[in-house]
Amino acid sequence: MSKIWENIFKLRRKQTDEIDDILVKIPIFQDLNSRELSIIKRILHKREYKAKEHIFNEGDVGLGMYIIVRGCVRIVCDQENQILAELCEGDFFGELSLLDEAPRSATAVAKTPCVLLCFFKPELLDLLERNPKLGSRVLFKLAWTIGERLKSTNEQLRALSGPDRQNESKS
Amino acid sequence: MNDKSAPLVKMTLSAVAAAAFIIFLFLIPEIVKLVVIAALLSYILDPLANLLESRGMGRTKATVTIFSGIVMLLVIFYLVLLPPLFEQIKSLQSGLNPEQTGVMISRLENVLVENLSFIGIKDLDLAGRLQGSMAHAGEWMLSHVLDAASLITSMILIPFIVFFLMKDGREFKRAFIGIVPNRYFEFTLYLLYKLNAQVGNFLRGQFIDAAIVGLLAVLALWLIGIKYFFLIGLFTGIANLIPYFGPIAGAALAIIVSVLQTGGFEMALYVILAFTVIKLLDDAVVQPVVVAKSVDMNPLTVLLVILAGGKLFGVLGMLLSVPIAGFIKVVVRESIINYRKYRAI
Repeated sequence: MSKIWENIFKLRRKQTDEIDDILVKIPIFQDLNSRELSIIKRILHKREYKAKEHIFNEGDVGLGMYIIVRGCVRIVCDQENQILAELCEGDFFGELSLLDEAPRSATAVAKTPCVLLCFFKPELLDLLERNPKLGSRVLFKLAWTIGERLKSTNEQLRALSGPDRQNESKS
Repeated sequence: MNDKSAPLVKMTLSAVAAAAFIIFLFLIPEIVKLVVIAALLSYILDPLANLLESRGMGRTKATVTIFSGIVMLLVIFYLVLLPPLFEQIKSLQSGLNPEQTGVMISRLENVLVENLSFIGIKDLDLAGRLQGSMAHAGEWMLSHVLDAASLITSMILIPFIVFFLMKDGREFKRAFIGIVPNRYFEFTLYLLYKLNAQVGNFLRGQFIDAAIVGLLAVLALWLIGIKYFFLIGLFTGIANLIPYFGPIAGAALAIIVSVLQTGGFEMALYVILAFTVIKLLDDAVVQPVVVAKSVDMNPLTVLLVILAGGKLFGVLGMLLSVPIAGFIKVVVRESIINYRKYRAI
């Protein structure tokens, strides 16, 4: 009997450790201590998706970000049917929806069976109300992350437009 | 089962389960009523618990603190406000003895006939009508208010449910979200978020507004010198939760008492003036500050919704009809907007 309980607890501990390991790698939660992380864990939604199941569709109302605990996700542009990115364990997507209620700009599809953690705007607002110190830290890190992504996009754009500009100036 | 028929079977099973659940709720109306009242109270008290949490308290501690505060308020109410309330109820009972009431009513009838004969008021038979309605009121009190067993059950159960809804409300919400299929999961959260922003603010605002209007009414009626000022003010505050009907009901009661008290309309004019000032203050100052975001419905819809709520579920239906209509409005509007916007119909 005790072995059964031991196994159950072991399984739970293993799952918790797995989530902890993933969360500390996410820039938004990187500097949080274990107590703060456990508060965050309580407000996340855990969802399981089958392979090929749509997580959200382009144009859907967006409310927050998804963190991949297990499996791989494809970000697809519906109109051009083009794969924009393939994300796996520890990656996250959709974080802009935490600040903006704009429709999703691409479709997310589970490539393999997935376990995702979802962090949504109502929970962030609730956290800001109940625990302003932790909430503002998360919000600051979120702004930083979005800033970093913007910088990287700018660099990619510069790199793409660089040769064109050179060609234009030559002609 | 092939892949094509699977969604249809799922949908049928879900519809059957939902219908069975609704029928089950209709079979236990008393429990549903208790849970609705408790949910409403916990919803109103929730921001207070959040505030305490933001000061570093745990959720359980915050809930216990709020409950201790409520118990203290009830003790103060019991010690300070209950004696005058009982006094007023006693004097109302003694004031309604057949002889005195008869004299007062005939005095009122004379005043009405003298002043309003030009619109055809001759034989009112107020005494007979009042007797009839008192008999009905007696029956109603026996069947509803004096049902001590259900009253005690409610008084124990409501705080009990409120406590757990406040303490574990988030876990209940997460458990509910947990059973929503992946396809509707994010949209369900979005709907709950919109509902909380619109209907939640309206409910909390209305509650605070009712408390302020009740206090102003007690103060005004006390200054005018109306008997039973505390009872009427309390009634006005609670009635104010029902838009349009509430303020009129409170004022009408105060006018009737003032006419019965003095036998003339002089004091009634002061009452009308006081209630007009309270209404203006409420519309110009209290409502814009307290009821920040209303459910944004036109007055005719609100009136019809209140009438329908009253007809179906009595006073509780009248109280809850506007927020429930607001809830339905948000769900339907957001579903249509999102469907149109994102699915291009």
